[in-house]
Amino acid sequence: MTPAPVARITACDCLTAFGDAPATHQALLEGRIALEPTPVLGSRGGDAVPLALLPDRVLDEDLPPRWLDFAERLLSKLPGDGWGSPRRPVIVTSSNFGVGSLYAYRLNGDARNLAYGTPFASVEQLAKRLDWGPNTITFSHACVTAHLGLLHASRLVDARLAEKVLVLSFDLLSPFVTGGFHALKILNGMMPAPYEARDVGSIGLGDGLAFAVVEPASAAGEFSLLAQAVYNEMHHFTANRADGAGFAACIREITSAAAGRRVWLKGHGTGTLEAGKLEAGELAAAFPESPLVSWKGSLGHTLGSCGLVELALTLCALRNGRAPGTPGSRTPTFTSNIMLEPFSVSNFDAAVCTSNAFGGAHAALLVGAA
Amino acid sequence: MSSSRTITRISTRDAAEEEPSVTRERLKDRFPRGSTRRMTQLGLLVGDVLMDMDPGPDDAIIYISRYAETRALEQYLESFPTASPTLFQTSIHPSAVQQVMIGRQLPVREFLPITGNEQLVAQGLTAALVSPASRVLLCGGEERGTWLLEQGVASDRNFAFACALSRDPDGALGRVTMGNEVCPPEVPLGLEEFFRRLTDREPFTLVAPSAQRISWTWE
Repeated sequence: MTPAPVARITACDCLTAFGDAPATHQALLEGRIALEPTPVLGSRGGDAVPLALLPDRVLDEDLPPRWLDFAERLLSKLPGDGWGSPRRPVIVTSSNFGVGSLYAYRLNGDARNLAYGTPFASVEQLAKRLDWGPNTITFSHACVTAHLGLLHASRLVDARLAEKVLVLSFDLLSPFVTGGFHALKILNGMMPAPYEARDVGSIGLGDGLAFAVVEPASAAGEFSLLAQAVYNEMHHFTANRADGAGFAACIREITSAAAGRRVWLKGHGTGTLEAGKLEAGELAAAFPESPLVSWKGSLGHTLGSCGLVELALTLCALRNGRAPGTPGSRTPTFTSNIMLEPFSVSNFDAAVCTSNAFGGAHAALLVGAA
Repeated sequence: MSSSRTITRISTRDAAEEEPSVTRERLKDRFPRGSTRRMTQLGLLVGDVLMDMDPGPDDAIIYISRYAETRALEQYLESFPTASPTLFQTSIHPSAVQQVMIGRQLPVREFLPITGNEQLVAQGLTAALVSPASRVLLCGGEERGTWLLEQGVASDRNFAFACALSRDPDGALGRVTMGNEVCPPEVPLGLEEFFRRLTDREPFTLVAPSAQRISWTWE
């Protein structure tokens, strides 16, 4: 079991290639695609691959790195202060942190890059820029890491170790990560088509930042984290068990928490074939009446930030009564519940959001009106 | 909040400045045949201590490391412009634990990889104390870097540790407890110093960033 106490989300927003959460939600409703062909190694060239970079950003890392400016811009909307103090911890989650600066150092030899290159150094730079106190905790579990931040935040407020917790996720692309996924042949130049049954799978990658403020269930707020689950298959670094058992083990806990509710599903859906098929199949089995969407065919996979970026967009959909479909994908799809076009969610009680990562790591949450 | 766990098992390995090839040869019999070829030095060391804990599917694993996969990171960066897919996978932060758990096909419900600096130990212990799991395996370590070490952004030493922290009071080697009182800040306990206290079985107290005191005592 992964018992996660019910917790309130009192603020949540994100920053993608389209802008903040409302702007991104609107762009997805319109079916716009943020991904654009971009040289995989930035200024060093290479194959063109689909990337969705934040506005006015290039793939090569700057000095100081641009994620500092974008994080400051995103958090300028954040209510409250005293973050990083004993009662208001900050949880930072990412997959890559400032590793693009290590790549830049390796490329140009400028030692100033090293001040941003390790995960803890990047978080210390954030703390300095945003005037946080020392109460920060940093999770690094690839593409499920944002879910771990939300889970730990819920536990801290439940244990009364915090009155509220700021969870921040950021992952900006660099040749370090685009080169890696290109080497794995899944960032292969084709546009991603999540859950579409086609011959070759592919992903796109995107920049993303997001935050959520997590408070106890007794706090006033619009939405609640009703259940959270994680599971680690430990079967293979980049593949899942072929029987889908890992997906099923994670979703099982959410299924029981969602009993009696009408839910829609925001899946992980990167555009890979094997994982997409397993995920769609297990979600359809667990929630046979629920529509399933993925937004990575437009925004790209925003890696460690995807769980929180897509949560912010899910809250927009719940708030506005309309969820985006699955941009970039066409029929035939793996399962019949995949929604390619936007649809009304006004008759649904809650949404299930899932993410997956290297090592067969799975995470899921159930979010709904408080 | 007051919370406590029983320390039921502990394992530490100090590989100092040992070269990866020496570690691999020394520990090869601890792992399934053929599985060590692609394991990192940190993966070997963490795997060695973690297997002493007999991890089970219902354990929560909390992994703490400042730098994690330094050698794989260095070699992956060296591989450009023809990036290595294998080194890309193994350079990710939680790779050490995943290498050994995947090698033995051991699924686990909850795996929390945490990184950080001065507060890393305090935050790892806090996560262990708020975890609902019956048994938490707190593990971690570092591997010695090469060119990143020369630039001061890598560990200068190889080491690993693991300890089993249980809700069950039986078989106590010691206890870790978080108290209710609010305390003024103290000098944090770093990861290497935590490793030394575990190795030497020395008790310690620290003040977590939440201002609660955490006490580690031995029987």
